[in-house]
Amino acid sequence: MNTAGLNGELIQTLSMVVVITSVVAVEVRRLRFAAMAYSAQALLIVGLLASFSAVNPSLYWWAAVALVTKAVLTPWFLFRFIGRGEDRELPPLIGFGPSVVVAALLMIGFYRFTHGHVAVLAPTALAQEGVFRTNLAVASTVFVLGLYCVLTRRDATKTVIGLCLLENGVHLSLVSLAPELPETALFGVATEVVVTVFLLLYVIAGVRKEFGTTDTFALRELQR
Amino acid sequence: MSEQVATIASSLPAWAFLVPFAAGAFVFLGRRLGPKLSQGLAVAAPLAVTVLGLEMARVVISGRVLTGWGNELRVDGLSALLVLAIGIVGTLTAVYSLRYVQQPGLLTRVGAAAEKRLPTFYGLFLWFIATMVWGCVTNNIVMLYVAVEATTLTSGLLVAFYWDKRALEAGYKYLMLLTIGITFALFGCVLTYAAAVATKGLTGGQALLISEVRGVAHLIPPGTALVAVAFLVVGFGTKAGIAPFHPWLPDAHAEAPTPISVLLSGVMIKMAAYALARTVSIFYPRWPTLAVFVVALGVFTMVLGIVMALVQDDLKRLLAYSSVSQIGYVVVGVGLGTYLGCYGGLFHLLNHALIKALLFMCVGALIYATGARRISELSGMREKMPITSACFVLGALAIAGLPPLNGFLSKLTVYLALAKAGMWWAVAIAIAAGLLTMVVMLRAARTVFWGHAPATAVAVREVPATMWVPMVVLAVACVVLGVFPRLPFPLLDRAATVLATLGR
Repeated sequence: MNTAGLNGELIQTLSMVVVITSVVAVEVRRLRFAAMAYSAQALLIVGLLASFSAVNPSLYWWAAVALVTKAVLTPWFLFRFIGRGEDRELPPLIGFGPSVVVAALLMIGFYRFTHGHVAVLAPTALAQEGVFRTNLAVASTVFVLGLYCVLTRRDATKTVIGLCLLENGVHLSLVSLAPELPETALFGVATEVVVTVFLLLYVIAGVRKEFGTTDTFALRELQR
Repeated sequence: MSEQVATIASSLPAWAFLVPFAAGAFVFLGRRLGPKLSQGLAVAAPLAVTVLGLEMARVVISGRVLTGWGNELRVDGLSALLVLAIGIVGTLTAVYSLRYVQQPGLLTRVGAAAEKRLPTFYGLFLWFIATMVWGCVTNNIVMLYVAVEATTLTSGLLVAFYWDKRALEAGYKYLMLLTIGITFALFGCVLTYAAAVATKGLTGGQALLISEVRGVAHLIPPGTALVAVAFLVVGFGTKAGIAPFHPWLPDAHAEAPTPISVLLSGVMIKMAAYALARTVSIFYPRWPTLAVFVVALGVFTMVLGIVMALVQDDLKRLLAYSSVSQIGYVVVGVGLGTYLGCYGGLFHLLNHALIKALLFMCVGALIYATGARRISELSGMREKMPITSACFVLGALAIAGLPPLNGFLSKLTVYLALAKAGMWWAVAIAIAAGLLTMVVMLRAARTVFWGHAPATAVAVREVPATMWVPMVVLAVACVVLGVFPRLPFPLLDRAATVLATLGR
């Protein structure tokens, strides 16, 4: 594949902003702002996919599907859910300062890893190209930040945002790992995430009604 | 392990999951036509899956492999075994559920409009079965992930169906933990695909097909293979309930309405174990040392599950932890990668599907008749509910591995396979876990069924026939498979050959 048509600088910039939106989505305490950060990230991902499409037209499909599922439907569900409840997130297990350090370390670590040993993570020739290494570094960082968010946040709404980040990380990596994935597979993978978010928020709405809170620490009924 | 098998194009694999899917859609669309329609379809569709599964089994036993939609769908011995298990357990569960769901307070809270929610229940029930079957017949590694995640989505609301605090907590954990877990599997699947493309032996479309990837697996660099296997084990292992990724399992299996518990413990975790075996076995021939790692994981699961079961008072939680332990035997057997190990593991997979379905149905019967499910709240049920008692004790003995019941033979095969592979440490631990299983199950049975029935239990009666007949069918199957172990041999032999990548 000829990668000369790619705008390397644009892709680098967008990638960096994607990481920043992840950190904001994880760290900001107002749930509405976190959802906004997530929506911004979704739009950036669509932009990234579209810029990669310059060399791989089948990624246009990916960009279109991501636009509908990640940038329209998921934020819609999130805002609709948050709109009805308490907007302020419950205090997380790990505060702002340490979190930013974690995020920075992750980014540096993955950047160095993908520029040194990318073959382990992506054995394709494509992944040896500079922009794709950056893409993988960003994808891994977003993935691990999402996992970090799910593990350390008490607020169930925040864990759903973390889950979305986790998925975004994997989906971003597809650009380098599986650029020729058929549309049916892409469609299946993307649809699944939207349905998951919808169902989770539906169940969490039930939790909020029954328990009077979205604090996951309050979910102790099954531990007697 | 030759990939040169005769394949025949067939529409059977597609029908096997399209029928329950269409039936589910019909139930949702025709929700105003009353509960009779949804219940009828709920029985008919899994029955159709069973019939299709039998036909598939007949074809694969004759040495051929069914393919559909190009090579997107593929049914070999292993897939046919799973489809058959899902069909049989699904049909019996549907029959069992007919009366169970009508008892006030069992499906929804007392006073809630249970009638109105029945179509939703059965629609999701049918889609749950459809997605499980889909996962077992697909040959596309990314679609395998999609199908496994789809089983989580279709069953998520079923787990939380009761919609009280406990059910909602279980439902939230179930959806959240399994989705995180399965995302790891997606990464593993995509990495496998990317690595297969990079070997240059396959084109993009071919590299998605599991049957094709097997042929180029030896060209995948070891580092990548290791990362892919780690992600697949975490991902599908979470869904299969392998320790230490099991914490969702006891909550979900215990809080779901009993017919759903039967499906979750009986077949869903097996379908995930199938996905794990199907994908990880790709890497086995080149890296046989993986076997030690997988066996160790299985042994750990086996012990942890049964130790946790020891301290449970809630019968459904006890059975759920026992499922964790039993899936350990399946993982150990299949993880060995030898023919004998795979045969034992798959035989145990089939046996455990039948036994655990039986045991959960018995506990459901106790709940139906008494409203209680804690061991400490029940006693003397032997006289009140003779059929349920007999079925439970038989299931308990079968799962403990007592001859001449089916659990004995499959566990013995796993022990022999371990011994043959020289893993005596694993044999010792597995036998110890087996003895603990006997203690756990018989202690529960003794407290619940023997002794004197409390005065409050005067009105307790045996459950209706639509509930006990499926139980008796399963109990008879446990005895028959134990006394005539050659009966499932032709199919199990084919299935084990598919997975036996490390020779006989």
